[in-house]
Amino acid sequence: MNLLAYLDPGTGSMLVQLLVGGVAAAGVVAKLYWDRLLRLLRIRKDKPELSEPEPER
Amino acid sequence: MAPRGANLAAEASTEVGSFRDPDSRVLVTADGVFRVLSEEGLADWNALVASRLWREVQQDGSVVASEPADLDALPAGLVRGAAAALRHARVPFVSYPYEWTFSMLQDAALLQLGLNRRALEADLTLKDASSYNVQWIGARPVFVDVGSFERLREGEPWAGYRQFCMLYLYPLMLQAYKDLPFHALLRGAIDGIPPHDARAVLSSWRDRLRRGVFANVVLHARLEARYADVAGREVKREMRQAGFGKALLDTNLHKLEKLVRSLRWRAGETAWTGYGEHNTYDGEAAGRKARFVREAAARRPRGMTWDVGCNDGTYARIAAEAADHVVALDADHATVDALYRALREEGRTDILPLVVDVTDPSPGLGWRGLERAPLERRGTPDLTLCLALVHHVTITGNLPVREFVGWLASLDSALVVEFPDRSDPMVQRLLSGKPDGANPDYDKAGFEAALAARFQIDRTEPVSQTRTLYEARLRV
Repeated sequence: MNLLAYLDPGTGSMLVQLLVGGVAAAGVVAKLYWDRLLRLLRIRKDKPELSEPEPER
Repeated sequence: MAPRGANLAAEASTEVGSFRDPDSRVLVTADGVFRVLSEEGLADWNALVASRLWREVQQDGSVVASEPADLDALPAGLVRGAAAALRHARVPFVSYPYEWTFSMLQDAALLQLGLNRRALEADLTLKDASSYNVQWIGARPVFVDVGSFERLREGEPWAGYRQFCMLYLYPLMLQAYKDLPFHALLRGAIDGIPPHDARAVLSSWRDRLRRGVFANVVLHARLEARYADVAGREVKREMRQAGFGKALLDTNLHKLEKLVRSLRWRAGETAWTGYGEHNTYDGEAAGRKARFVREAAARRPRGMTWDVGCNDGTYARIAAEAADHVVALDADHATVDALYRALREEGRTDILPLVVDVTDPSPGLGWRGLERAPLERRGTPDLTLCLALVHHVTITGNLPVREFVGWLASLDSALVVEFPDRSDPMVQRLLSGKPDGANPDYDKAGFEAALAARFQIDRTEPVSQTRTLYEARLRV
């Protein structure tokens, strides 16, 4: 499996794609920050997710 | 992609410009242009050819014609560990984005985005977004990097977005919004214009309010700086979990399409083409010149013609009547852009217009200066037209006449050249800002001596009172 594409998309460049998406991306942005908030408040643990593999393609 | 010219293909080698993608490398041998695929690359290729998309893009010509090739027929040392090979059709002449006009870069960007959207429908995507993946057949853009198609990994953001910005969107924005020519910037950095640099130019409040600037430039630059140390994989996972997917990818591509389409370079649109030079001609002289060029072109075997200093393309079109392909070069961006738009309207596939200043032609770029070849290394003409140019290059450019003739001889082609003598109104104008006696090597006798030293002059014809045309062959 190709874990990493040969081109590094750049972290900031990935995130900006959420903002370029405008209204269509609003739901995704909201969920992204909601997940982060839950982790921050320790309502959700983030450690186990780190070992989650990339999806098979 | 494929350089034209037997001398270039004599020795098989990996096309240096393709080494960045390990799953798909390009080889140029005497037999043609090949792409060598890894196991991963082969799986992507199989997914591509199985799709309806592949049949469509081969039919409409938007992706370069490609077919499976025999891996064993390629030099063993260059295909070690490869899973398969493809053979690509050659493009007539390889060109680079820093030689294109605004409208050409815009059309290439729309091809890139359009193909990516069509790929999404087939659960494929394009793994990168480099403007070097587009070449031209006349005024028609062709996507040449078949290896860029890969199977879509659902939930991942577009890996090529940053590259798209650096090599397409920012150059177009700088030209459209700031009238800042992108050629020097793209020629100066093979990866294009980074978000930070675009942000530095599009800096005023007014700029931030221009379409697409706030998100694609300002926020992009800020997020890139802020998240420079954050691992991409983590963010990728978070985005996937939050529901980023194909629909949003398509939305983004569609928005970029609309943004690119909305960009206008006003200076280019209002430029008057066929500047001063044509006004120095009356209809009769222009007719004589056209006839001279037509006859000289018809005498040669069909092949590649370069029109150096093509202006509005009048003589490139005449040469095209008797040539397979014409590369029309001129240093004036607006003029070449108008020519491109005219050729595009006509659907011409035999004339490629490029922005090139022959006194400062494209050099070798990238790793060891080999990733992008200098202009003359990408093929040479069979016939060169050099009309209404010598005086600009030698008087304005201060290039010795003998030196310029030497360059023409180095192209190793037949030649049609026009020489306006010192009394010509345009020459007078170019000399008017200089002290008396400037450019003493610029006179008819000196030019003819320089020409005769390298060329066999077959025909000479006065085209007006002050201008002479020469048809010449290289001395052997």
